[in-house]
Amino acid sequence: MREGLAGKYVGAKVRRVEDRRLLTGRGRYIDDLNLPDMAHAAFLRSPYPHAHIRRVDIDSARRMAGVFLVLTGADMARLTNPFLGMMALDGLYDPVFYALATDRVRVVGDPVAIVVAESRRVAEDACELIDVEYEPIAAIANMAQAMDPMRPPIWPRARSNVLWEDSQTYGDVEVAFAGADRVIRERFAQHRQSNQPMETRGSVAEIDPVSGELIFHSATQSAHSLKWSLAFLLERTSVWRSIRELATNREKPRKFVVGARAFIKSHPDLRTATKSSQPAMLKQLRREPKRIVHLSEALLGLLAKDPSRRPRVLAQDIGGAFGAKGLVPREDVALATAALQLGRSVKWIEDRNEHLMVGGQAREETLDIDVAVTSDGTILGLKVHMTMDVGAYPGFPFNGAFFAQMVKVMMPGPYRIGALRFDTTITASNKGTYVPYRGPWAAETWVRERMIDVVARELGIGRADIRLANMIGADELPAAMVTGPPLDVRMSARRTLEEALRVADFDSWDAIRDQARSEGRIVGMGLATFIEAAPGPPKFFDYISPGFSALAGVEPAHAVLEVDGSLSVITQQVPHGQGHETTLAQVAADELGVAVEAVRVRYGDSSITPFSLFGTGGSRSAAMAGGVVTVAAQELRQRVVDIASDLMEASTEDIVIEDGHIHVAGTPAIGVSFAEVAAEAVRRRPGSPSDGAIRVTSEWDGGAGGWAQATHVCWVEIDLDTGLVTIPRYVVVEDCGELINPAIVDGQIRGGVAQGIGAVLYERAAYDGDANFQAGTFMDFLIPTAMEIPDVEIHHLQTPSDIFANYRGVGEGGMIAAPAALTNAIEDALAHLGARITEQHLPPARILELAGVIEAEAPTEVGPPDYSAAAAVPAPRPSLIRERMPTLTPAQAQAVRRTATSVRSGARRFADRYAGRP
Amino acid sequence: MSDDRCEVTVTVNGEERSLAVECRRTLAEVLREDLGLTGTHLGCEHGVCGACTVAVDGAAARSCLMLAVQADGCEIETVESLGTEEKLHPIQQAMWDEHGFQCAFCAPGFLMTVYCLLRENPAPTPEEIREELSGNLCRCTGYASILTGVQAALSRGAAADA
Repeated sequence: MREGLAGKYVGAKVRRVEDRRLLTGRGRYIDDLNLPDMAHAAFLRSPYPHAHIRRVDIDSARRMAGVFLVLTGADMARLTNPFLGMMALDGLYDPVFYALATDRVRVVGDPVAIVVAESRRVAEDACELIDVEYEPIAAIANMAQAMDPMRPPIWPRARSNVLWEDSQTYGDVEVAFAGADRVIRERFAQHRQSNQPMETRGSVAEIDPVSGELIFHSATQSAHSLKWSLAFLLERTSVWRSIRELATNREKPRKFVVGARAFIKSHPDLRTATKSSQPAMLKQLRREPKRIVHLSEALLGLLAKDPSRRPRVLAQDIGGAFGAKGLVPREDVALATAALQLGRSVKWIEDRNEHLMVGGQAREETLDIDVAVTSDGTILGLKVHMTMDVGAYPGFPFNGAFFAQMVKVMMPGPYRIGALRFDTTITASNKGTYVPYRGPWAAETWVRERMIDVVARELGIGRADIRLANMIGADELPAAMVTGPPLDVRMSARRTLEEALRVADFDSWDAIRDQARSEGRIVGMGLATFIEAAPGPPKFFDYISPGFSALAGVEPAHAVLEVDGSLSVITQQVPHGQGHETTLAQVAADELGVAVEAVRVRYGDSSITPFSLFGTGGSRSAAMAGGVVTVAAQELRQRVVDIASDLMEASTEDIVIEDGHIHVAGTPAIGVSFAEVAAEAVRRRPGSPSDGAIRVTSEWDGGAGGWAQATHVCWVEIDLDTGLVTIPRYVVVEDCGELINPAIVDGQIRGGVAQGIGAVLYERAAYDGDANFQAGTFMDFLIPTAMEIPDVEIHHLQTPSDIFANYRGVGEGGMIAAPAALTNAIEDALAHLGARITEQHLPPARILELAGVIEAEAPTEVGPPDYSAAAAVPAPRPSLIRERMPTLTPAQAQAVRRTATSVRSGARRFADRYAGRP
Repeated sequence: MSDDRCEVTVTVNGEERSLAVECRRTLAEVLREDLGLTGTHLGCEHGVCGACTVAVDGAAARSCLMLAVQADGCEIETVESLGTEEKLHPIQQAMWDEHGFQCAFCAPGFLMTVYCLLRENPAPTPEEIREELSGNLCRCTGYASILTGVQAALSRGAAADA
């Protein structure tokens, strides 16, 4: 079946190329890989959040029948290089640690040993035979404990659990605040969330039985990043041995050095950037001199290593990630080491409990915000203090501090905010690793959009009016955010807001809500607008981290006419649900004049895909990969036309490619096929055609780039008997430029909104006050089902533009805006009861507390101290029950108490039933 | 471990199979590892996500919560029984047409749930579909495209093939 007319695929709801295999159960997810003679790994994990390891006895486990190998932290220290954070932020303590815990455990689930056995079952049984003597240490469970100097540091070298403090000022903050009629302040807390793709992490370390080469199959978002990280971390070699290797075989490092030199030469900014971060790096080395040894061993080892000892990474079908598979798992290093030691292939598939504990957690951030405003609602400036709890082990190669920079730069959003002071405090805790989760900087949107509602309420101005008054309109463009990034003429956030207000009939809302209230129904509506750098203006990443654009700002691709006349696009993207096999084929097919089925998109194999450390993430694929595939396909078309014109003895301008047929304009009956062109190309080309008949390699820097933007409108209805929030309507008005495949765009938006709703109403990676993990199953961490997620009504705007490859990303936007729109709607609904929404997690019991139906329980998680010396401590708001109790008769009061208790247990029962608990 | 092996005879996708399996192994493990039917996925292994849903004597069941020995004498259908890449089952065809899934790790479970639903109730209401599908988790799509896919399958008479 054909998917439409060639030349017209971009913009059509082309059915996905990948679906036939995925829908029939013939996909190749990591756990589907079974190699001959493959062994299986399991990890022994710490039951303690924080403890010294006094002794590990693996003898019984090692002796168990069917067990091949047991490795511990001591083995890792001998056989591998440690993870070395290299975020060159002045004063940031970035720890040094191994794949397995050595002398202490720092989180529930910390891997202590890896067991490799004939089956996963035997490996798990053997884990139970390992005897570990722990000596518990006081744990750090929250930001307040992290700031308590009496508590022990998780990283003794850091001397404190505050890992980094920073303050940046943009514009004249003092003037802005001096000129304000009011300064309005609030604290907003995001809870610990988790990506939780339906497929957990997992890898198969395959050892080629002949060459001993490591082929690392993995569910990863970035094949090259994983390859080079493994090459850096695996097979520790002493400095002396590396130098001897290098001295005896100078050819070995030549290709590497030549390649690295060429890369640095083609990215001159990289030099300036590394120069500016050198002092910070040196400071880290002075603070922990052992780093110099580790770095020398790792870097010299990498140089001296035979290129065949560098792993080849292979990714195939991946069951989702949302950021959780972009970092290098510690388990992967232990797994690869075990496989290399044994000389046989080993599989590790994380189970759900492990994935919930240590597979990646996100967004635990508290933001204190002061807004300087005039009485007419003009926002003059912001002071923001963000405290981020990054857990115990930093993500490698990106830790939480990197994402804190993104929150800072994106803080002004599409608003005319002339001054910003942004303070950052990064704290450690005995909790899971902070990973990027679908729009990892989204705190800026949630806090800004929530705060705008607070300001509107305080000043008695309409919520739409205050947004319209402060948001940058088309007539003011181009402009720039006070933090630096330019806003080009296509930045259309305000248009999305205006259209959303129209679609939602916002002006009638207050009357509708009040009418509903008079009928005893609790309803609300919330708005939220955001912009996302997808891909952002040119060199956007330099605003986040100087020089980073050189590493992340360029997208490569190959376009290949194969020897048999077929066409391939080879990308560094590693799709995991985004449908790149379809969208990139659509783009290439249109440029080449062929059917979409004729283009094969190849990905995931580090030995054939072009080099980039970025992989798939950051809503960048449409703009960056869509752009580079356009460039590469155009060049390939030109090369095909050149040969075809020779074969047909016609001028190149007269050659037409239609429907896969190459002919001279006006005479479609006479032509040549791609196979004939390929044969001719092979004839003309010296040497072996192993790279195809014609191979084009292109790079794309995003061109004019620009912003994706949307406004979300959420309606809620709240049942004050159960605390249940339902969403009768949800509208998204978005502008992401030209749509490559509208069905995929809509799917990305809907999926993001669903995760945003899940985060607010259901999901929490909860810990108790001693850092014991409380959400180890899907019965504790509640992912919403088809019953909870509403229909999402999507309206597309497209600002006219003639820029090349006018595609912008939508992967993260749904989740960036949904928590803001939903929490704004909930406050609107409960405002008349005095509820103020300053936290993002609002499960039924919390809704009832905020509405004053039941009394609040003491919070289990405690935030940082208040950052404003002048801040008055708000008196706790009395609950409706307590307020009205004196007016009730004893019998009535008793009845109210009974109701409150039964409502609370009802809410719990709901949660139980929802989770499928008996 | 031969002493704790159990003899199991099951009909899988129409073919009778006799196996000696470790008694503690789940149906999902045996389907995936011993019979090579890797279309059945394991998402949580504690019965919540539904990715491992298969038909056991025609009824949707979580193969991660069922021991292989419990399936002795039963007829099992997995996603591989529905259609092939060349000839999709009408439910699969509808999901393809409607962009039902994204990463599709959850897809086999959803497909088998829908398959069993339509066999039992050839004309479910939209509310019944939503409720029936609420036993399967999807993290990518927000469910709308899957629900649309079921409606499309229904309107094309997929129930007749269920």
